[in-house]
Amino acid sequence: MERDKNPHWLSRLNPRGPGSRTGRSAAPSGPCTADPETCLMVFENHWRQVSWVLEQQEPSSSSDDLTAVRNHTDQMLCLLAEERPAESAEGGAAPMGPILELVVTENILERLVQWHLRRGLDSDSQGALLKLFEMLIGQSQQQPLLQHTAVLHPLLRLLGACADPDLGCPLALENSLVLLLNQICVSMARQPVVLEMLFRAAPAQQGSTNLLIFSLLVPFIHRDGAIGQQARDALLLVMAASASNEAVARYIAENSYFCPVLATGLSALYSSLPRKIEVRGDDWHALRREDWMSVSSLVLFMNSLEFCNAVVQIAHPLVRSQLLDYLHNGFLVPVMGPALHKSSVDEMIASTAYLDLFLRSVSETSLLKTFLRFILLHRHDNDTILDTLLTRISSNSRLCMVSLSLFRTLLSLNCEDVMLQLVLRYLLPCTHVMLSQRQAIRVTDLYGKSADKFLSLIPECCRLNAASSAERDEDGAFWGKGGHPSIESPAPPRPSTPSRLAFFIRQQSSGGGPGGGGPSTPTSTEPPQSGASHPPCPDSPMHQQLANTECLDWDSGYLEYLKDSRQGIEICSWACRDWSAPYDGENPSPNVAAPPPPPPTSNPTMAMFPEHFSLQQGGSGSTPPPGQQRLLEQAPGEPQLPGDSNGQGISIEAFTQELRELEDRVRERGRAACQQEETARECLSSERRQPQQEEEQQPPSVPEPKPPTGDTKGDGPALVFGSPARPLNKPASQPYTGPFMVVLFAKLENMLQNSLYVNILLTGIVAQLACYPQPLLRSFLLNTNMVFQPSVKSLIQVLGSVKNRIEAFAASHEDFPAMLKKAQQYLVARGKVDWADSPAAVPNLRRSDSLVKSRKPSLGELILRHTNSPTRARHAAQLALAHVRDGGQSLHSALFKGGAGAGSLEKQAEALRVKNAVYCAVVFCEFLKELAALAQEHAVTLPFPHSQEAEE
Amino acid sequence: MNLNPFWSMSANTSRKQRTDSEEQSGHSEQRASPARLPFGKKQLPPIPKNAAPITKPASTGTLAPSANGTHASYGPFYLEYSLLAEFTLVIKQKLPGIYVQPSYKSALMWFGVIFIRHGLYQDGVFKFTVYIPDNYPDGECPKLVFDIPVFHPLVDPVSGELDVRRAFTKWRRNHNHIWQVLMYARTIFYKINTTEPLNPEAAVLYEKDVQLFKSKVVDSVKLCNSHLFDQPKMDDPYAISFSPWNPAVHEEAKERMFTYKRRPDDHHKGTQVSGLSWVKPGSMQPFSKDDSPPQS
Repeated sequence: MERDKNPHWLSRLNPRGPGSRTGRSAAPSGPCTADPETCLMVFENHWRQVSWVLEQQEPSSSSDDLTAVRNHTDQMLCLLAEERPAESAEGGAAPMGPILELVVTENILERLVQWHLRRGLDSDSQGALLKLFEMLIGQSQQQPLLQHTAVLHPLLRLLGACADPDLGCPLALENSLVLLLNQICVSMARQPVVLEMLFRAAPAQQGSTNLLIFSLLVPFIHRDGAIGQQARDALLLVMAASASNEAVARYIAENSYFCPVLATGLSALYSSLPRKIEVRGDDWHALRREDWMSVSSLVLFMNSLEFCNAVVQIAHPLVRSQLLDYLHNGFLVPVMGPALHKSSVDEMIASTAYLDLFLRSVSETSLLKTFLRFILLHRHDNDTILDTLLTRISSNSRLCMVSLSLFRTLLSLNCEDVMLQLVLRYLLPCTHVMLSQRQAIRVTDLYGKSADKFLSLIPECCRLNAASSAERDEDGAFWGKGGHPSIESPAPPRPSTPSRLAFFIRQQSSGGGPGGGGPSTPTSTEPPQSGASHPPCPDSPMHQQLANTECLDWDSGYLEYLKDSRQGIEICSWACRDWSAPYDGENPSPNVAAPPPPPPTSNPTMAMFPEHFSLQQGGSGSTPPPGQQRLLEQAPGEPQLPGDSNGQGISIEAFTQELRELEDRVRERGRAACQQEETARECLSSERRQPQQEEEQQPPSVPEPKPPTGDTKGDGPALVFGSPARPLNKPASQPYTGPFMVVLFAKLENMLQNSLYVNILLTGIVAQLACYPQPLLRSFLLNTNMVFQPSVKSLIQVLGSVKNRIEAFAASHEDFPAMLKKAQQYLVARGKVDWADSPAAVPNLRRSDSLVKSRKPSLGELILRHTNSPTRARHAAQLALAHVRDGGQSLHSALFKGGAGAGSLEKQAEALRVKNAVYCAVVFCEFLKELAALAQEHAVTLPFPHSQEAEE
Repeated sequence: MNLNPFWSMSANTSRKQRTDSEEQSGHSEQRASPARLPFGKKQLPPIPKNAAPITKPASTGTLAPSANGTHASYGPFYLEYSLLAEFTLVIKQKLPGIYVQPSYKSALMWFGVIFIRHGLYQDGVFKFTVYIPDNYPDGECPKLVFDIPVFHPLVDPVSGELDVRRAFTKWRRNHNHIWQVLMYARTIFYKINTTEPLNPEAAVLYEKDVQLFKSKVVDSVKLCNSHLFDQPKMDDPYAISFSPWNPAVHEEAKERMFTYKRRPDDHHKGTQVSGLSWVKPGSMQPFSKDDSPPQS
């Protein structure tokens, strides 16, 4: 149910053909193919015998009578169902067939049902009748039976009995009931007049609820399995049929429980989702289809969400808007909101990943809007959901990655409202640039000066050239050891973690198309329209390079970056063409722009302890600053943290909870021998390590703007309004680029300590932002000549400091060039393996010149290819992952000899730190090329006209 | 007209020229262009796959490896992109009656044609070539040479070169752009300037005997137009050439030009939900366009 699938539900609701039910319905064995006169005679014959029973004064309790009636009825209805009316001569209304005519004049069905009801409907007869009617409606393709009250009313009477609180519908008959209802709806979809008749006929027949069919179906909305699917399909048919019928729509909205049941049902289903997502690789950061297909509660939820999406798509506006209201107020606010604010990290991770999945799955604009409104505007304990999500970016590795993934999804929507709240409103007043620089906002990088600047930041130590042949030989040996990828072997040993780069970078295109199963051919691994799960530049060639040589030339692959930047920018400009304003520093005018919210004055999770979180993450290797040590030793839950208690409660709670968990794990694991990376990583926090050189050089970065320097005052409108929840103790005019930029830059500045995967996600998001054509944003990120206010950090400054750190690191590690080369080779090799796996996937041309594309046939697809059997898929997944792990291990030892095997935590920690730094260097260089290419492409992109203008 | 003529030109399968709507009846293109650019792509022979457009020696002799970039290997990209950016600016300017197209062989050479719609030179269709110095944007101003020396005080009667330098005494990067040169080339036909002429005869006549000047101009326009269907002077697949209107070829091309809508080049992202906006213009508030917010 991904966006790209764009399911038109109706097309899928293929009424079951007559063939599909032989053997299940009441045995139709009569002489159905005989000529009409004979059929009529046979029918009359049966009817005579039945009516003899029916006309007895006392309702018979004899089972003989019942059997007789049933047998005859079976035969009669079969005849009726099979009857073909004569062709109408002059094109007038087709005349009824003789049997139907008899049924109508004698009111046969009504009398039958009445008889059953009079004698007391046992579940056996009830079931038989349900099946009979289902057969009748399903099979009578020839005559519109339901349009005759002589058929419709007895049917409603039967259904009324099923809705009767005393009688009800026995559990065993639910399947029959839903099937019958489904048939009625299918038939109604073909003959819209039936809906009207049902609606009109109903009050007389059933009193209170006048759309009985509907109220019978609603309880099955969230059911598991086929019955739930049939009910939802049937309801959708009603929705479709009622889309143009105001009265019915009004009834559904005002008199039925449809919308509340749907919305609150989602809440119930959500509450049964796993609170903790069992995570596999250390690069996991988002739920892909293959992740959730095996989790039944999630499948159930997704089915219902998909159903909501479909209802929103086809229902009458009245129903739609009511449903959206209920979803907002009955699911998002009361359930999603608190779930996102749960205190345990696992729950935060899970709920964030769920929200991300939901956003990627919703395809209807108005439903998406409901979600976005919730995220942007709803306040939970004073903070918007967005605020909360933003603080998570600075947290530990996994939560950070999941949050980044969610933001990537948000950015991929190219939604003005989202961008306004995240970034643009902070840039609108233009207080971040010097007054004299405001004109420069719209200037594009005509002569490649910015591009040049970005490229100049590629550290000297990374400008290696291709390996000499001798070195390559040596590398061959290395590969031999690590397991050289071979195509023939059933499960080729995959090299290492970085080979998951592909898997990682790739978007969750969730390979399942409409047909469900995974792509059978490699070419389909990128679904034809892979919906919003694709941000504008997810396909950009991230951070990987030429596969021609075993090594990356520092300046290789630039052409690919240009090409992908062009595409990314074009797609983004196209998507933004209907925004309300160009955001070019003049429109909207900086002077009328409402001052954005000021920076939070104290936010413990973000500002005070940024380094704490990086402790846990992929080997940051930092020693906790003293303040944190104190916290580690404190009893959790003590309200020690400074900051306004107003609105920060949840965060503090979360923080202390996290600390507690951290402590526990540390104690537990600290004793065990740390053989694995992961363990090593966590041990870091317990070990007292010598503060490292770099950490001394670089105090924990505080992702907040520096204090105002005084001379910035007066350049910009004084801050008048502000969120009352926040104390206004900062100078009003202090420029602030918003929490998103601040946290992204802080994280970026810390690149050297981030894990490979965090860095890939992070740089991907910045690149995604840099695709946006709005001059305010473009100039902020890409115009390297722009002069900002002293308190505003620019991207180029941040990158400059990363460059210095990399160079310092390289200077202190004499084997840096060798390590760098190996890391590069590793990433390249990863790409090659992927290509080798699917030779048909891409034109050769590409394969040879760009490892950039390596991410496409990824591990995920390899797994998906086996999805015919779920167990096989799981098995395949496990196998593949095992290889990745093994590979990771061997890379680790190969890259950093001696460090790993020793069993020394110190050394392992150090090795991890080195590994992160080396990978960081690779990613950093590629990122710079990507930014340079984006800067160049912006200068040659033409804007798209507003879509309305274009239509003229 | 929403249709940007430059884009529609490129949208055209064949590479070329059409006149303005009022003038289109007579002539149009004939040569098939090399199947080089994908439909709807920009015209600058885009990427130096091997940096060919820049470094390949061409007949003009103006080409030399770029001395521009600090990072040598990116140098070609900078020059190419600077020119592409200039071309983008030309498109954005929507200069009336002026069409240009970079050459296939070199991004430093642009072919152009200008249509004069009123004034002394009315009905003139003048083809020209722009030569951009290879140290652009730090060098001299570009040269503009008419294929046929049109009778004009500022046009060299032998070489056909327009005196551009008088308008751009010093070429200043960031301030001067190629579209301004094109604009200038158009202006001279509407506002005659006779000081320091390249064609003294024309200048003198204009001052002394306007009638004779006018008739010479008419002759010159006739001459130019009579050579309209000649083979292009430059042997380049992207050179502008005209041919008599041939419905079999041109109707369809015209139709496509008028119906063409530029879309991003995304093969696999067709129907994604994106580009949403609920911001009421001027409000700068999210969801301000909304009429019926859910009550929470």
